[in-house]
Amino acid sequence: MRSGMGWALLGSELSVLFRRLRTWAMLIALAAVPILIAVAVKLSSRPTAPGRGPLFLDRITQNGLFVAVTALVVCVPLFLPLTVGVVAGDTIAGEANLGTLRYLLIAPAGRIRLLLVKYAGAVAFCCAATATVAASGALAGVVLFPVGPVTLLSGDTISVGESALRSLLIAAYITVSLLGLSAIGLLISTPVGAMAATIVLSVVSQVLDNLPQLEWLHPWLFSHHWLSFADLLRQPISWTSFGENALLQAGYIAVCGALAYAKFSNKDVLS
Amino acid sequence: MTRARQRWLPALLLPLALAIAVVLGSVQAGASVSLPPKSAEEILAMIARTQVRALSGAIEQKAELGLPELPASGPGAVPGAASALEFLTGSHTARVYVDGPLKVRLQILDQMAERDVVINGGDVWLYNSKQNSATHLTVPEPSLADLENSLPTRPTPGMFAPDMPAPEMPPTDMPTPEAMAGRFLAAVDAATEVTVAEASSVAGRSVYSLVLNPRSTETLVDSVTIDVDSQTGLPLGVEVRAAGQAEPAYSLAYTQLDLSTPDAALFDFTPPPGATVTEQVLPAKPVPTMTQPSTPAPDAPAPAPDATIPEDQAAPGHGSRPRATVTGQGWDSVIALPAGAAQTEFTSNPLLSQALQPVDGGRALTTSLVSVLILDDGRVFAGMVPLERLQSAAAAQ
Repeated sequence: MRSGMGWALLGSELSVLFRRLRTWAMLIALAAVPILIAVAVKLSSRPTAPGRGPLFLDRITQNGLFVAVTALVVCVPLFLPLTVGVVAGDTIAGEANLGTLRYLLIAPAGRIRLLLVKYAGAVAFCCAATATVAASGALAGVVLFPVGPVTLLSGDTISVGESALRSLLIAAYITVSLLGLSAIGLLISTPVGAMAATIVLSVVSQVLDNLPQLEWLHPWLFSHHWLSFADLLRQPISWTSFGENALLQAGYIAVCGALAYAKFSNKDVLS
Repeated sequence: MTRARQRWLPALLLPLALAIAVVLGSVQAGASVSLPPKSAEEILAMIARTQVRALSGAIEQKAELGLPELPASGPGAVPGAASALEFLTGSHTARVYVDGPLKVRLQILDQMAERDVVINGGDVWLYNSKQNSATHLTVPEPSLADLENSLPTRPTPGMFAPDMPAPEMPPTDMPTPEAMAGRFLAAVDAATEVTVAEASSVAGRSVYSLVLNPRSTETLVDSVTIDVDSQTGLPLGVEVRAAGQAEPAYSLAYTQLDLSTPDAALFDFTPPPGATVTEQVLPAKPVPTMTQPSTPAPDAPAPAPDATIPEDQAAPGHGSRPRATVTGQGWDSVIALPAGAAQTEFTSNPLLSQALQPVDGGRALTTSLVSVLILDDGRVFAGMVPLERLQSAAAAQ
């Protein structure tokens, strides 16, 4: 009975999330990034010099499959955290603003379950956002450019099939990377609406990650491994950063989740 | 009220449990290992006897030489320009695959980029993913035979070390722990006190720690620790401490090590489509580099003990250049290059010339481990000694 309740709640959360105009607007904006990149490269008469611009930009003309990777590189520092911040930061706060939170709390779902469902919704959006960029990039690349074996960072070449597998791995990696940020968004969202705070935090974290003076802090920043998904483009794949990233994000989820629960269950969230 | 407090409990306990787990994990990593005690001589003999023919591993290099650090990414990171200094600051990781002396692959893992050296018999490939450029070096047969003779019977990934005698292999900026250890051990003489420290663990393997202490007080080097695998005798890590600095000035160690034979396909390199390929036949001059415009010159103040390079091997591959002379012995020796040798390499690099400070009669680069003095007349003095000693050596000549 109770678990059925949870699933129903999750279903309604997901359907609300993906029926919102805002969600679709953000996904369409994300899908536009790889299309813009592909069209810009297609239209520019001069070939991009190697080593300039984002990763693999110079190789798009030779192989359309690079569009997805380039688009993900472009989206990871700002666009993806921005959209995830909007969704995660609005999970509880949005309901409170709309005045619907009181009904959810009255419903016999339990606050911990509500929190879990809200977090699951944010995770679903992370998956959808990353998949959107990857899929739209692959599509734009296949339509506009020739497709062939893919060159890895190590200089080795892999088949189209294996490259699709690696693209999926990269999408999974980036989704995992965003889970910690989602948990932070959930925590901040609990007392007051704070979409902006989530986004600002992700920018601050990335800036701190670039200051060599703060090297001791770097392994603890949730954005530290964000760009290390390039390790999946080496031959053989370097799994170290995948593992470290997953562990770090799990730590953020555990700590932020526990804090969010404590805040959510103690405070009078309705005021 | 108590109920409300109880609700905070998980929120406090969970971070606490995580913190304890992290602390325990780091304590365990640094915990000493119990190994049958061995004397320094026995450990040195172990290194000499090591029979490792194949390995795959990951290496981490850290340098804290007191030089200004540059952001690792973002607009501040200038590709190429920073490379002369890049291995002297911050940390770098690489992967190395070895299958016998003639099959070696080194991958320098940069963020979103990679530089590869693939050696397969007479073929040597250098690949740079940023430029998407490859250089193919062909080692002629006679040279190949020389190469095999010149190499020790065991594989040395350190064949990349810049001080390897001719025929030249491509020097890379990041030698392996084994090569680095070899350079320090070659310098062990009466001026060095060799002791054995407590056993520890590196890359999950228990190691004996050999400590080289310079008896001289003139040198900037406080001590050099070499971690030697207790099973195979392979040096797994080198750590150099500078006098008066708490943190190690330089360390190079395996973070992962697997002694099984790597996949043979790793050594078959075909340049990717669209890459710019440069063909070169060895022995050819100048020294092939990783195709970056400003690859560090071998004379750049490598953290390695330049002063310990035998005179006849100094400045390899630059036969046309004037020979270097070494004054002094052991740790406090000073290497002197006549005018015109390395000055342009120092001054042409914008970052390096920024790091130079004006001193009496020239400019100087001082780090916690190495000092370099460039006189206005073009002579260059370098050594693991304080700047004053270089100046007095310059005055004496």
